[in-house]
Formats: sequence, structure tokens, C-alpha cells
Amino acid sequence: MNINKTSLIKRIVHLFTYHPWLKLIALTLAVIVWFYVRGEQPKP
Amino acid sequence: MHNILFYCRLTTEITILWFVIYQIMLFFEGTRGSQVLRGIIMLFLAFFIFQKFNFTVLDWLLQKLFGISVIVLFIIFHPEIRQGLAKLGKRRIFNVNLKEVELDLMLNEIGKASENLSHIKIGALIVIERHDPLVSYLQSGVNIDAYVRSELIQAIFTPNNPLHDGAIILQHNRISSAGCILPLTDKQEINRLFGTRHRAAIGLSEETDAIIIVVSEERQDISLVYKGRLYKDLGQEELKIKIKEIFKIK
Repeated sequence: MNINKTSLIKRIVHLFTYHPWLKLIALTLAVIVWFYVRGEQPKP
Repeated sequence: MHNILFYCRLTTEITILWFVIYQIMLFFEGTRGSQVLRGIIMLFLAFFIFQKFNFTVLDWLLQKLFGISVIVLFIIFHPEIRQGLAKLGKRRIFNVNLKEVELDLMLNEIGKASENLSHIKIGALIVIERHDPLVSYLQSGVNIDAYVRSELIQAIFTPNNPLHDGAIILQHNRISSAGCILPLTDKQEINRLFGTRHRAAIGLSEETDAIIIVVSEERQDISLVYKGRLYKDLGQEELKIKIKEIFKIK
């Protein structure tokens, strides 16, 4: 059951206001994981 | 050219990783598992630092610990994994749009029933289905399939009625089922003043996007629960506005 679709602006605002800290921590972890895995992989 | 390709790949890989990690963290947010997840993140960071600074003994110890912890994690996160897989398996087949007039009529009836029930100190639990299907919860109750009328809602929740225990589930502007059993929340930080009815409402809202209205018989107030959040002490009009707001958010 749904009435209206949310506007694009609302969605973008929601993207930055919904759990901003969680997003930042997740980004930090993603960067760390990427560099760790990259370091573990054998160089061609 | 080679550099551009490398940076494109790097950005895409990190974005995908970020999205997966964020979804996992969001999934555990507010549950008992979030504390365990925080501990794992701390251990992971420590492991990364030990490796960077060549602390061989500590690094070896943590590597062994991670090896055995996979099984332990499955045991600790068993309910969350089950819940997550259930969410993944959900598929929306029909997306029924409810007209604003129909919604208004339904909300009027719900509001009237909630207010009357709270005045006469009778508790109630009303669930409005949105996108996530509530089939498994419908099956735990008795099929009704009737128009939403305040008199009927009040009759269902009147004590000594065989259906008064449990929740009623509303689907497409009709009362589908009554006496439905809802899952209880694992949240520990919920105020002790709230009873099983509120815990069940929060429990369901954590698993689905349903809107749940709780009428407390002790405190004689009306609350609304949506996506794990509880909005308490609402009047008939406030309740209507809040539900309409939620319906307008996809």
C-alpha cells in the first residue's frame, strides 16, 4: 500500500541525514579492507 | 588511460564494499548483535594495526582467533542471520496503491476505535501492512476479511473475546486477520513501563515496514511504531497525520 513517490531531492537529503556516522565508519572500514586485501594479493 | 581505469576500479570496489558494510551495520543497529559487531570491528582494526607495525606474535594470535571465530559468529548471530535471509527471500509481487480517500476513511475508523479503547482501558494492537508481506503473521491468527470499522475493532479487542489476545492485521483497507502473534523485540534499552504489546509492535517493525498502532490499557495512551521507532502519546488527529506522513514516504 503506497500513495506517493518521494521526490529526488528528499531522497538525496535522506541519504546524508540518515545515519551519517554509520556511513562514515562503513566508508573507513571499506577503505581499510580494500587496502588490506590489496596488500595481501600477490603482485603481478 | 591505465591510471583512469585503475581509479575507476578502485572507486567502484570501495563503493560496493562500503555499501555492503553499511547495510550489515544498519541491519545490526539497535539489536543485541550490534555490541558484538562493534567488538568485531575493534578486533579487526587491532589486527590491521598489528600487521602494519609488524607485531608478529599479536598478529599470529589474532589470525588464529579469527579462524575459530567463524563458527562462533554463526552461533552468536543465528537469529540475525535467519532474519536477514528471510528479508532477502521476500519478493513484492503486487504493489497495491491505496487511494487517499480510502486511506482517510480507514484512518478515521482506526483513530476512533483507538481513542474509544484507550478511554475504557482496553489494550489493542493494530498492524497496517505496507510493502513487506505479513503472510507468516497472518497465518498465526484467524482469517476475518472484513471492512475496517471502529465498532468491529472495539469488539475484537474486548476482553474475554477469543480473538482479543494478539494483533489485527489490515491489508488493502480490510481487516485480514485477528489474534495474530507478533515477534518480540530483542532491544534491551526499551523503557520498563512498556509491556509485551509494545515489545511485539517494535519487534514486527524491526522485521518489516508495517505501521503498528498500540493502545495501552495501563497508561491509556495511543502509540505508533514504525521501523523500530516508537511515537507515544498520540491523539486521534496526530495519529492520522503521522500515518499519512509515513504513507507518503516510499
